[in-house]
Amino acid sequence: MTKRFPNWTLGLAGIILLIIVPVIYFLPNIQSKTDPASHLPEKVVHVDHTDIVKGEFKTGQDVTRACLECHEDAATDLMKTTHWTWESKSYDVPWRDAPVTIGKANQINNFCIGTQGNENKCMSCHAGYGWEEGRTTQQSNPENVDCLACHADPASYGKGLFGNPAEGIDLLAAARSVRTPTRENCGKCHFDGGGGNGVKHGDLDESLYFPSKNNDVHMGGDLNMQCTDCHWTQDHQILGRMVADNYTIDPKEQVSCEECHVSQKHEDERINTHLSSVACQTCHIPALALEDPTKVYWDWSQAGQEGRTDDHFTYLKIKGEFVYDKNFAPTYLWFNGNNEYRYILGDPLGEDGITYINKPAGSIEDNNSKIFPFKLHIAKQPYDVKNNYLLQPITSGKDGFWTTFDWNSAFQLAQDKTGLKYSGQYDFTTTYMYWPTTHMVQPADQALQCDSCHGENGRMDWEALGYPGDPIEWGGRK
Amino acid sequence: MKRYTLLTLAGLTILALVFGIKAVLAAPTTVPTAQASVLHPDFALLDANGVNVLESSAAVSTMKTCGQCHDTEFIAQHAFHSDLGLSDYNAKSDTFNSSNGLFGEWDPMTYRFLSPAGDERLDLSTAEWLMLNGERVVGGGPATTSRDGKPLIELNASKSNPETAILSENGTTDAWNWNESGTIEMNCFLCHIDGPNLEARAEAIHSGRFGEANTATLLDLKIVNQTAEGWVYNAEAFNEKGELKDDLLGIQDPTNNNCATCHGEIHTSEEPLTFNACDLNYPQTATTGQVVSAQRINTSGVNLSNKNELSRSWDIHAERQLQCTDCHYALNNPSHLSEIQSNNPEHLIYDPRSLEIGEYLQRPDHNFARGESAQFNVAPEYKGTMRRCENCHDATKGHADWLPYIETHMDAIACETCHIPQMYAPAIQSYDWTVVTTNGTAVTTCRGIDGTPNDVTSLITGYKPVLLNRTNSDGATLLAPYNLITTFYWVYDDANGNKRPVRQIDLDAAYLEDGKYTSDIVTAFDKNGDGQISSDELSIDSSAKEETVKAKLTALGLNNPRIEGQVQPYSINHNVTRGEFAVNDCKSCHDADSRVSQSIKLADNAPVMPVFDANNNVNSTGEMVKGQDGTLYYQPVPANDKMYVFGSSRVNWVDWLGALAFAGSLLGVLGHGTLRMLAARKQPKGHVRTERIYMYEPYRRFWHWLQTASIVILLFTGLIIHRPDIFGAFSFRGMVTVHNVIAVVLVLNAALSLFYHITTDKIREFIPHPYGFFDDAIVQAKYYINGIFKGDAHPFEKMPDSRMNPIQKATYFAILNLLLPLQIITGALMWSVQKFPAFANALGGLPLLAPFHSLVAWLFATFILVHVYMTTTGATPFEATRAMITGYEEVEVHEDESPKEVKK
Repeated sequence: MTKRFPNWTLGLAGIILLIIVPVIYFLPNIQSKTDPASHLPEKVVHVDHTDIVKGEFKTGQDVTRACLECHEDAATDLMKTTHWTWESKSYDVPWRDAPVTIGKANQINNFCIGTQGNENKCMSCHAGYGWEEGRTTQQSNPENVDCLACHADPASYGKGLFGNPAEGIDLLAAARSVRTPTRENCGKCHFDGGGGNGVKHGDLDESLYFPSKNNDVHMGGDLNMQCTDCHWTQDHQILGRMVADNYTIDPKEQVSCEECHVSQKHEDERINTHLSSVACQTCHIPALALEDPTKVYWDWSQAGQEGRTDDHFTYLKIKGEFVYDKNFAPTYLWFNGNNEYRYILGDPLGEDGITYINKPAGSIEDNNSKIFPFKLHIAKQPYDVKNNYLLQPITSGKDGFWTTFDWNSAFQLAQDKTGLKYSGQYDFTTTYMYWPTTHMVQPADQALQCDSCHGENGRMDWEALGYPGDPIEWGGRK
Repeated sequence: MKRYTLLTLAGLTILALVFGIKAVLAAPTTVPTAQASVLHPDFALLDANGVNVLESSAAVSTMKTCGQCHDTEFIAQHAFHSDLGLSDYNAKSDTFNSSNGLFGEWDPMTYRFLSPAGDERLDLSTAEWLMLNGERVVGGGPATTSRDGKPLIELNASKSNPETAILSENGTTDAWNWNESGTIEMNCFLCHIDGPNLEARAEAIHSGRFGEANTATLLDLKIVNQTAEGWVYNAEAFNEKGELKDDLLGIQDPTNNNCATCHGEIHTSEEPLTFNACDLNYPQTATTGQVVSAQRINTSGVNLSNKNELSRSWDIHAERQLQCTDCHYALNNPSHLSEIQSNNPEHLIYDPRSLEIGEYLQRPDHNFARGESAQFNVAPEYKGTMRRCENCHDATKGHADWLPYIETHMDAIACETCHIPQMYAPAIQSYDWTVVTTNGTAVTTCRGIDGTPNDVTSLITGYKPVLLNRTNSDGATLLAPYNLITTFYWVYDDANGNKRPVRQIDLDAAYLEDGKYTSDIVTAFDKNGDGQISSDELSIDSSAKEETVKAKLTALGLNNPRIEGQVQPYSINHNVTRGEFAVNDCKSCHDADSRVSQSIKLADNAPVMPVFDANNNVNSTGEMVKGQDGTLYYQPVPANDKMYVFGSSRVNWVDWLGALAFAGSLLGVLGHGTLRMLAARKQPKGHVRTERIYMYEPYRRFWHWLQTASIVILLFTGLIIHRPDIFGAFSFRGMVTVHNVIAVVLVLNAALSLFYHITTDKIREFIPHPYGFFDDAIVQAKYYINGIFKGDAHPFEKMPDSRMNPIQKATYFAILNLLLPLQIITGALMWSVQKFPAFANALGGLPLLAPFHSLVAWLFATFILVHVYMTTTGATPFEATRAMITGYEEVEVHEDESPKEVKK
């Protein structure tokens, strides 16, 4: 004890401690919940390229060359990713001897069916130019990387045939407008997939450009989150994969709610008992296609009819008959994040008249599975009667079905592109495709209630999920 | 060795207790809800003679049909839904209620009076009672049996017997022939099939064709049709054995929809919910605003203010898929065995012996488990048999993370108070039968709605129920939410000297002629002279109007007509919610504007002061207050129920007295100080020689300042707890916690200090010696009044072993031996109300302890004020304070006078 502090200060300190410590110990502690927004990735500071980018640009590749002067690795980085290759890594699948890859480049779905041979149209959503050269050439040239598709202001840029910039685009203005991708950039392709607004996903459509909080609680209102806030990107490798064009997904490449919402403890204890078997999305995405309708049925067999008026929502001569739906409940399946089956070109049709383009993996017995919402898209698409596999037609271009309305020629021309031999006989069969739902998360007070799933008016088919009956009465899975 | 054995035994006992208690707390499993059963066998439909209806084409007899397998006699005898008070029927002269049930209890809203035998004028006879109420009568009981237990069909039709008569529209009495009309057997189909035809049944009953009612329930189910010739049964509905194919009926355990038939709005479909407001066809909703539905309020179809923010369901139990029968079950249902345990020997927790399901199905007891609602007094011996909140929910665990004093709250308030804080449907507020509308109905008002009920442009605002104390059958008294319905009506004395309500037919005759008001009524009621009686004018708000109507009633032969009023409480138990929508802000009740003392409007105007109905288990200790515009309110007074709510309740004179003492001392201190300051200017400076003496040892200083800090914090937090309306910025819960924590610090500090003083014998210093005490005290007092202004020396020299003058000694003696222990004890008792309520209640409970605690607090505050001022009377104003910090004091030395010996 030095003379600097008189004795009485010790007493004072003692008294203060004796008062403060018990009070703090007993005071009802307000659990400081960490704000989920604190996990959002840091935004890169915007660098205005108006004065940086110079020069005349005649072609898209010219622009890319200019970008690569400073961003040297950007192209090669992107070329390693599926936004470029449109093909997954290779998988060993039980129903095939050799490993397979799955992607838009080489497989089919039950919307516009397939891109092979249709590059002039389909590649307007590819992050690259020059598809008129053919796939191998196109893929090997870094200058074919289309930086503008994701980085330019969508108001100044658009893509046309074979992935090249559209006619009349001012490439210089577009190049100068570059910045971090926004919802508008991603949405240009992902909101309009399948040939129109909201056709494909059900949870991604143009209403998400300016959504209200009730439409999507993350993208709407004050939060105004961009795609990259959840789909974290490093070196152009974008996390957050869609299982429809994959077999399994490495959890390292996936994003989940828990990245930001670390603790999922709800205030209502009863909800917490659901966490092991119900995914966040199930309760927090009560409906698909909240504002803009999505396609739920596509009957290709009706395409080509004469004398029928075209109507975007019910019938188009080039595509057939459709059914759209809006603000409807998703289909629920057990899901562990992977597919247990994905249709590979040449696979035989399914039994019972339904061919599954993909089948989500998971079951009531699998502890890694949770009940998850899906958009089920049912289509009637062409198949080869003799060979018993699905066919992919050439649809675009002057020889495609959309011009000739001749299925036979469409399939014949496709033989070289897809490798599928055409026997000369085609018919149409029913296919199912399951698209996981994870966007259009509604605010918490709109989440599903008990009576949404349980009880007389509940939306769950308990027996289809493998339960003996409503778990409220039978108990949950053991 | 003895101690060792004792210790081991104690340890083992404790272990045994712990394991034992854990075993007891094993909870029973839940019961699955029933669905339409595919197990019910096909059965023949029999008529009243036991003959298959396919042969006789007669009406179906439920007793005989269902009686083929189930003991319908037993069921009919054991069903208060059926009995409706008939078995307790006993007309009394001092009350309008002849029984406890729907049959006999006079409801001032429906107004018609079930006339007992021998009454001068017939109002409601049994037949007309059935016609009016029959929709909600299950059958059996008064629908088949007379008031003395005989079958109705055996009675001789006689005009003078209210059981076989009926009042016609023009006021004459006619005979009623039960053999013609038939009676209504207990109708199993009403509750036990999927789609009973309620409209056809109601139509049959309203027109008096009672015998057809049960068969009418089966219409439109492809079983039977009604033609001019009688009943025609559909042969396709029956199999070769003449048995009805069961899938047509869908025999099932009653669902919520079945219960809704009689009880009110229960909405089970996905359609946006709408309801009929203040409509007595839906009694539960009309009288309380309760709506049982799983739907989210903000997806319903009602025009409700702030609807968008209400993301809660109407009723959380409905949302969680509970059925009415999960709580209101049959009392001998073996699947509810765990709740029906009764009269077991003390050691037996659970008796598993029960009926087999088959035995139960043969004789299911239709006396259902029921709660303790205010209104339903039928079969009072079954009150409280129902599962209540605490049978399923553990309040101590559910509130553990945020509510302090859980047990105290649970002992004083029922779960419903906080979990049903607001009703979102309108409810009836008043029925004024002292006047009639041209439709022959009373003037009614609805609470919770702006505008006419059931008009789509009216805005529903909902209302907050009033909180009243309810005495449960186990004796406990808890605060629970209610709606209060006030009714006003005319009564008269009939020829037999009995008080009776004026019959509706007489009231109509007094007011109306041919459906329009008579001219003298118009003259009396028409204020603005437009020749019409508007809805504002249609009320008896002046003695002139009252006299006019009185005269008209007297002219009809009614003796001594006068107005009476009644306030009835209606229990609210449904529409439970949780989480943010339940009350979870302490200041909802712990504040000047408390829910506990929130008033409720009774009526827009009251011709008389109504009487709170005593025929229920609700305490009505509040006051009826009339506002300036004539509006009548009910104001609960928590103090009358011996409730003391911190922050809301206060004894005004205690606060005034304390404040007066404090303010008076403040003035005195300011005055004295000012005078001293003025006097000191005239004194030469530094005229007193002082000596530096070590006055206070460290522990003394420590405990003094810790005590200071504690007391100041306690006073501060105590004031905030007492008046949260003034100190709204502070968290009530936080202040209570701090107050309790610092109180413990204070008690420990005082206890240690007491120990110190006793063991070191320094306590002697504090004890004033009686011998010569008063003389010394007067000397000291004289110094303060006079000498101090003259600059005199202190009469008693301050020395380390004698630091206090006589007045100080006396003051500290009182503080430390009287005030401090009292405050600690009252405070401890107030805190202990949650764990050991017996102690607190023995001493008067919170209503006595809390104001006392407040008064002593004021005295402490006054003490501190004066004490701090007195410390300025040292050598210099701050010398004494500095001494208490550093320990060294400059004490004046008496030079020219020998120091006065302090008498030991």
